Amino acid sequence: MVAKKILSCSKCLLIAAVLTMLGGLAFLYSGLYPMGADVPHNSLTFWALETLRENSVARAADDIEVPQDLQSSNRLLAGGADYNDMCVGCHLKPGKKQSDFSLGLYPAPPNLSLNDDEHGSHEGELSAQQRQFWIIKHGIKASGMPAWGSGHDDERIWNMVAFINKLPDLSPDQYQILTARGENSTGHH
Amino acid sequence: MKTKLLSFAIIFSALIYGLSAQAHDPKEHMQDAKKPDCAAMDNMDQSKMDMNDPVMQAMMKQCMNGMKHEQKSGDNSQKKNKQEVEVPPINDYEATKHNH
Repeated sequence: MVAKKILSCSKCLLIAAVLTMLGGLAFLYSGLYPMGADVPHNSLTFWALETLRENSVARAADDIEVPQDLQSSNRLLAGGADYNDMCVGCHLKPGKKQSDFSLGLYPAPPNLSLNDDEHGSHEGELSAQQRQFWIIKHGIKASGMPAWGSGHDDERIWNMVAFINKLPDLSPDQYQILTARGENSTGHH
Repeated sequence: MKTKLLSFAIIFSALIYGLSAQAHDPKEHMQDAKKPDCAAMDNMDQSKMDMNDPVMQAMMKQCMNGMKHEQKSGDNSQKKNKQEVEVPPINDYEATKHNH
């Protein structure tokens, strides 16, 4: 009697699972989900994707060793120029609040010229640096963030991490000086 | 025939890979490189400048490099000033600035 009940219950579960799968497939093929970047995810999808992303990055970046000389001025200069050439369009700079990319991309790229609290990150310094390195190197799927590791070695990526860590403290003038690749023409008199 | 095709495919792939690796060479960005606006440092609050701060050190390096470059080109073109002007270390920047 009990065995029959368990059997029928497992059959019910199996049928429910198959129906759920079929329903999911039907939804995938229906084209009903709005894929435009100008329509935000519903809160459940947003939570699921963000949780998936954050935990995946945290796990992958956990054993990355941060260089001791991340505070060096040479790293700032090297990383600043690269940031200005490759990142500023999406991640902005001191004095610039928005761009076409920051407005149009979804999920919106974080404004790295703001400090952690202002763009919603609450990590320790070490975790943040590991995370930044991993994200720059490997990118983020379906977010617009490319994997820069294919054309940039680790040292160059660490230079960018070094610069990003100082970026929220920079004024627009300091940013201009640190990120310029050309020789100084005006100098001091 | 197959060997030729294979060789062509390998060479083509290597070429594409090589080009992609060069895609982000910093030299490429030099074409439209902006110059550091070091004159802006004059307007900064010097009492708040900490010479041990990596940001300040980096700014000094940027602007000192330019001054060194200017001095060298000035020496070469005019050949009037035979005194060699040495660029001081970063920590001596303030003293140099007041002398100019």
